[in-house]
Amino acid sequence: MLNRRRVVFAALAVVAIAAGIAAALQLREPAGMSGETLLAVSLPDPSGQAQPLSRWRGKLLVVNFWATWCAPCREEMPMFVKAQDEHGARGLQFVGIAVDDAGKADAFAKEIGVNYPTLIGGYGAMELSKALGNSLMALPFTVVVDPSGRIVLRHLGPVKPAQLEALVKRSL
Amino acid sequence: MRKRALAESLRRRLREACAPVAAAASLVGFVAIAPYIDAAAAELKLLPPDEAFRLAARALDTRTLEANYTIAPGYYMYRDKIRFAIEPDSGALGEVVLPPGKMKSDEFFGNVETYRDRVVIRLPLARAAPGQTLTLRAESQGCADAGVCYPPHLQRVTLPVPPVDGKPGPIVEVAVPKKPWFR
Repeated sequence: MLNRRRVVFAALAVVAIAAGIAAALQLREPAGMSGETLLAVSLPDPSGQAQPLSRWRGKLLVVNFWATWCAPCREEMPMFVKAQDEHGARGLQFVGIAVDDAGKADAFAKEIGVNYPTLIGGYGAMELSKALGNSLMALPFTVVVDPSGRIVLRHLGPVKPAQLEALVKRSL
Repeated sequence: MRKRALAESLRRRLREACAPVAAAASLVGFVAIAPYIDAAAAELKLLPPDEAFRLAARALDTRTLEANYTIAPGYYMYRDKIRFAIEPDSGALGEVVLPPGKMKSDEFFGNVETYRDRVVIRLPLARAAPGQTLTLRAESQGCADAGVCYPPHLQRVTLPVPPVDGKPGPIVEVAVPKKPWFR
């Protein structure tokens, strides 16, 4: 009798854990696109040359959606420049996707001395960011793909330096 | 008889135990997966742009429209990114003078003017027939203090023009999308 009760309880617990996980997965549903699908994306650089993101497969790849009309985006970029400088040799790679026109994006990137590739996404890049979980389509939006091709961060708003440090520590 | 009482008490205990066990287990499941959730928008609790920058408009008379933005606390709009047009007759709108905003210094663009809370804008109509309806197209761009900006945003309202010497037309608001039930 007691055994049977335990079995029932164990079964119940398993079902409940599954329900909890399902609920959690439901919450993260907007984040749809996988790391592999993102790596298959190709966008032009400011000179018009197509740059497939798969070039940076195996790196800790930080894909940052930004625009010159977005002040918080411009404010966080110097931190990315510094992190690229410090951890680039160990495999940290930033790539900026500008939701902007090539001229404006390139001028700003040069002005603040951006030391990582800028790709030109135009407004179409907003849809790409939406597919990655940016349901509000606001900026800045940052996605981090780890060296194994898994997305480990989807983040709306400025990235905190501690967030970046934790990712570097964990993945590199 | 004793057997039946035992079964009954067992059933009752099982029922009582079910809820806490299920709750605890589902909490364990949720906590186990929670670190992997970064549904970014949920974290910042941001409003969709139609709700952050609410547009309402009306025709005051046959020669003037009035557009009114109600800006949610913690959000602001850029004065120089606001543009109006009448669709499809692009010549129907006269020159729009936007009220002065508040200066905000911007490292890259220098001083920019922004609006907060509420801004009322008068739009002179170059030509509109009394009683006709027209569509006002408003483009704007704004940000949240939480540290995000929205891309240029389009809103449209269809307004009836009042008859000559009539009362102002009704206020028409841009519909705010309903929230999904699970948010």
